[in-house]
Amino acid sequence: MKEWYNKINKAINIDALEEVRIALFGKRGLLATEFAKMKDVPNEQKAQFAKDLNAHKQNLMNEFTAKKIALETEALKEAMKAEAIDVSMFSTSSSAGALHPVMETMDRIVEYFSSMNFAVKTGKMVEDDFHNFEALNLPKYHPARDMQDTFYFKDEMLLRTHTSPVQIRTMLEMKPPIRMIAPGAVFRRDYDLTHTPMFHQIEGLLVDEVGKVSFANLKFILEDFLKYMFSDVAVRFRPSFFPFTEPSAEVDISCVFCKGEGCRVCSHTGWLEVLGCGIVDPNVFEAVNYKDVSGYAFGLGVERFAMLIHQIGDLRSLFEGDIKLLEQFQ
Amino acid sequence: MIVTRSWLQEWIDLEGISMEDIAKTFNAIGLEVDRICEYRVPKKIVFGKILECEKHPDADKLNVCKVDIGSAIRQIVCGASNVRAGLIVAVATIGAKMPNGMAIKPVKLRGVDSEGMICSSSELGLPDIGSGIMELDSSIGAFKLGQQINQNPLFNDDLIEIELTANRGDCLSIRGVARDLSAAFYRPIKEYRVTDNDEKRGIGRMLSLVHEKGLDVNLRYKALDLKELRLPFIVKLRLAQIEEIGSYDVESMMLYVTHSTGVVLKAYRHNFFTHDEKMGKVILGKDEHGFISIKNEQKEIASIVGVIQKEESKMEEGSGTVVLEASYIPPDIVSKKMAESKIKSGPIFYKTSRGSEPKLEAGLSYCIDLIKKYSNSTTFSGTVELSKTFKEKIVTVIKQEIDEIIGAEIDKSVIAKIFKNLGFDTSKSSIDNFVITVPQFRHDIVNKQDIIEEIVRMVGIDNIPSKPFLLQEANRLKDDYSAYKKRSVYRQKAAQSGFFESVHFVFDEKKVLESYGFKTTKNELELLNPIVQTLDTLRPTLLTGLLKAASQNVKNGYASVKLFEIGSVFSPTREEMLKAVFLFSGERESESLNNTGKPAKIDFAYFVQKIADITGDIVLREDTTEHKLSHIYQCAVVVQNGEVIGELFRVHPEVEKAYDLDVTFMCELDFDKLSYESKTVQKRSKYQASFRDLSLIMPKDMSYEKVKETIEASQIPNLVRFYPVDKYTDETLGENMSLSVRFVLQSTAKTLEEEEITDVMETILGELGSKLGIGLR
Repeated sequence: MKEWYNKINKAINIDALEEVRIALFGKRGLLATEFAKMKDVPNEQKAQFAKDLNAHKQNLMNEFTAKKIALETEALKEAMKAEAIDVSMFSTSSSAGALHPVMETMDRIVEYFSSMNFAVKTGKMVEDDFHNFEALNLPKYHPARDMQDTFYFKDEMLLRTHTSPVQIRTMLEMKPPIRMIAPGAVFRRDYDLTHTPMFHQIEGLLVDEVGKVSFANLKFILEDFLKYMFSDVAVRFRPSFFPFTEPSAEVDISCVFCKGEGCRVCSHTGWLEVLGCGIVDPNVFEAVNYKDVSGYAFGLGVERFAMLIHQIGDLRSLFEGDIKLLEQFQ
Repeated sequence: MIVTRSWLQEWIDLEGISMEDIAKTFNAIGLEVDRICEYRVPKKIVFGKILECEKHPDADKLNVCKVDIGSAIRQIVCGASNVRAGLIVAVATIGAKMPNGMAIKPVKLRGVDSEGMICSSSELGLPDIGSGIMELDSSIGAFKLGQQINQNPLFNDDLIEIELTANRGDCLSIRGVARDLSAAFYRPIKEYRVTDNDEKRGIGRMLSLVHEKGLDVNLRYKALDLKELRLPFIVKLRLAQIEEIGSYDVESMMLYVTHSTGVVLKAYRHNFFTHDEKMGKVILGKDEHGFISIKNEQKEIASIVGVIQKEESKMEEGSGTVVLEASYIPPDIVSKKMAESKIKSGPIFYKTSRGSEPKLEAGLSYCIDLIKKYSNSTTFSGTVELSKTFKEKIVTVIKQEIDEIIGAEIDKSVIAKIFKNLGFDTSKSSIDNFVITVPQFRHDIVNKQDIIEEIVRMVGIDNIPSKPFLLQEANRLKDDYSAYKKRSVYRQKAAQSGFFESVHFVFDEKKVLESYGFKTTKNELELLNPIVQTLDTLRPTLLTGLLKAASQNVKNGYASVKLFEIGSVFSPTREEMLKAVFLFSGERESESLNNTGKPAKIDFAYFVQKIADITGDIVLREDTTEHKLSHIYQCAVVVQNGEVIGELFRVHPEVEKAYDLDVTFMCELDFDKLSYESKTVQKRSKYQASFRDLSLIMPKDMSYEKVKETIEASQIPNLVRFYPVDKYTDETLGENMSLSVRFVLQSTAKTLEEEEITDVMETILGELGSKLGIGLR
C-alpha cells in the first residue's frame, strides 16, 4: 500500500493524478481488487480486514484530494502567468474631447451669478446705435466712443461693442426689481496680440427702489465673486470712469502669478485689472424711463479671466481651433 | 498724461511724500498709473564749464577741452559736434560709473590725455534730447561748478504716466494733476501769479479782431517782438520726457506751457495777418461745417479753434513779431462738431475735446514770462480778446442721497473739505443740502452722481464697507438660463464624445463663401468697415470655419481631427441663428496597441454613431445640400422626432483636397431644434423579447428608407423595433443585394408563442412583397 501514497504524491500534474485515481479508486482499481479479496478472508478476521482496508481507503482519498487541490492551484497559477501583460505599455491619455477654455470659464461665471439669483439674458449681436450707445449715456460726440472702435453695417446698424444693450433691452421689457447677467460675444475693430475683433463679456445689472442699492453692495458681490473665481486673492477698487456708471471703479486682484510681488504679467505692479463697475448713471435710467430706482452694474472680459486662470499667453490662439491648445483641457 | 515729480513740485509742495505714496494715491483717486520711470543720474557727475575748446591735433572729429569742474580744471577729449567754449555741461569725472556700466578712467585718445567725459542726456540715462552733449543753462535753477548734478531735482526725478479716463480733461496738465493731488493730500496748490507785462506800445496798434456774434469760444491774444529766443534746457528735457516736440522753438515753448498749465496756446507769425507789416487783422467766423476758424484778410486759414493750426501761420523764427493766442472751447461743442463732420485734426484736439483749462490769462502770462526769460523780447501792452461767459453749473445733493448711494455715512465736514480742495464752491449749502457750484474746468460734472463720485474717489473705495444686498424675492425674469444650460449640456456631451470645442470669429470671407454656394449677407446690409478682407462678412455657416481649423491642425501633424462649435450664424437678412457643427477627419483614434498602430479611418457609420451619441436618436434621409462642400453620394438630412434638424455629409473630395484633409465628415445642426425636453418613460413589458432576422433580396438602388416606411406604415402589433444588421452583394445576386434586418418582437401582455411570432413575420413579408415587390432569398 505504501507505494500508492508515493504514487499520489509524485503525480506531476492533473493528468498523472487522474491515472493514479483510476488505478486506485476505479472499478477495476486496486481498492476494488482488495475489497474483492474479502470473500476469501476467514470470518473471524473479516471485520478487522474491512476496517483496515477502509482506513487505507479514507487516507488515500484524503491524500488524493489534497494533492488535487495543490495541483489545480498550481495549474491556475501557470495559466494566469501565461496571460501576463506589461501594464506599463497601457498608460494612456484621454480620448475625450474638451470644452473651450473661454466657454468653460464663462460657464463657471454664469454658475456663480445664477446661484446668486441673477437671471441670465442673452441678446442679438447686431444692434442699433440707441441700445448700444445712446441709451448708455454715450451720445454721438462722446470721446469715450473712441475707446470702442465699432463695426458698422451699411444700414447704420452695428455689431454690439459690449453686452450692455442686453441690459437696456431687459429694462425696457421688464419692471424693476431686476437682477441679471448678460453673457455673450462682443465686437471691436481691433486686432493685435492683446485684441481680437470678437471676444466675450459678461455684464451684470441690479436695479431696485431708490435708496436700496449702494456702492457697498456692489463691493460685496464683486469681492465674493472674485474670491470664488480665484480663491485666495486680494481685491482692490480704483475709481475710474465709464459713461454708464457714476461713481465708477475698476477692480484689480492681486497678481495670481507672483502673489502680488510684481512680475512681467502685472507690469511689476502686483495687481491685475479684471473688472469694471459702478452705480448706474441716472441718464441710463432716464433713457429707459425708470423713475425712483437705484442700481449697480459691472462688466468683465471672459477671455481675460480664462487667460489668467489657465495662464494662456496669446489671445489670438484662442480662436484658431488649435488642438495643441485644446487637448490640454481634456 | 505724463507727469514728473520735479514738474509737479512747481504746482504743489510734495516734500516728504514718497513716490510710492504718490503712485498709490493716483490709483486711489482714479488716475490710473500706467508706468513709473526713475531718472537717477549716478554719482560723480558734476557741473562743469568749458573754458577752452581746440581741435585735436590727430583727429578731425575730436576736440580737446579745458573744463572747469570747480575744484580743478581738467583736460577732456570730446567728440560731440556741439562742443564749444563757454558751455555749461555735465562732466563724468574719474571714478564715475555710467548707467550703461562703463567706468570713467583716465585715458589717452589718439595720444592726448583725457580725464573724464562730457555727457549727453542719453549717456546719463535721461531721455534723448537731440544729438550732442547737454547744454545746461539757468533754467535748471542754481548750481555751482563741481557740484554733483544729481543734487538737482531734474537729475534725480521720477516720471509717472497716467492712463486718463476720457472724462478727465482737467487732468491733462501738470497743474490739473496737482489740483487733484492737492485734494487728496490736503495741501494747497501754488497758483501762478499773473504779472503785468505792460510796455509802452499797445497791442491795439498792431492787431485787431473781427468776429461774428454768438461764437461759443474764449480767445485772448498777446503780442511780442521776439528776439533771440533760446529753448531753455528744462524745456528740451521735459518735452523729451513727455515725448512731444514742436516743429519750431516757439511751438515747443507753446507745447511746454500747455502741458504745464492746461491752457491751449498757439503762436502765429504776425505777418500772416497783415500785408503792410503794421496792422494785423484776425478774422473769426464759422466755416462751412460750423467750426470756428481764424483767418487773415486773404481768407487764408490760420487755425480752426480747438482742432488744428495750419503750418503756414506758425512762427518759424526765434526772432520777429509774434501773436500768442490762448483759447478755450467747450469740449462737448468741439467734439460734437467733429462727430458731425470729420475734418483733419492736430494734437490739440485730444486736449480740447476732453476739456482744456478755461482760465486763459494765467496760461498766457506764464508763457510770456517764460519767453521773456529766455530771450530779449519785448511785449506789447494789453490784450485783444473775445470772451463769452458760460453758464454756471450748480448741482444740489441731499446728504442722505450721498450716504444711500455710497452705502456708508460720510462726515459733512469731510465732504466740504474735499470740494474746497477740488476747486468747487460749496458756500451756498444748507444743513441738509449741498449746493455745489461746479468750476468750468470740470465739464464732466453734471449731476448728483458725478458729485458723489468725487466723494467716493477722495474718500477712497477701500474705506467703504462691503455689504450684501438684501434680497427681497420678487418674480424672476423670464430668463435665458435654460437655453444657456442646454447649450452647455450639449457642449459637455460633444466633448465627452471626443470632439474639441472651438470658437471662431463670426466673420468670414464673402468671396470664398459664395464660391461654395452659401448665401451671404445682402449687399445693402453688409459690413461697412471689416477689419481685413478675409473677414469681410458675417458667417452664414459654421462649416467653413471648422474646415479651416481642421486644415491647420493637419498641418500641425494631427492625423485625427475632431472639432465642434456651437455658435451664431447669420442669414442674408442678418437674422441670427444658433448652429452646432461637428467635424471628424482622418483616423478614428490615435495609434495604440488597441489598433496595432493602424487606426481605421473615419467612415459614415462611425461618424453617424458619434453624432447620435451626442444628439440622441436621429434618422438620416438621403438628400443633397445647397452648398458645394458635400460629397453628393454621401449626404443626408438629419431628422429628429420627425423634424429636419440639419445635414450630415462626407466632405466633397475636391474640398478635402483644397483643405489638405484626409477623409472628412461634417454635420451641421440647427441648435434650437435639438431636443432638450425631459424624457417621458414608456411602459415597459416584463415579458421576454424575441429576435428574428429576415434577409431581404432587394434592388441595390432601393433605399432602406422605403423598407422602413413600408413596415412602419403597416403598424404591426408587437413589433417593437427593427434595424439593418448586414448588407451583402455578390455576382449571383446581379443588380440585387441582400439586406438582413433584425426585428424585435415583444408583447406587454405575455410571452409570445412561436406561431404568433411566425404570424408577425409573415405579415411583414406580405407587406414588403405587395408594396415593394421584395422578399426572401
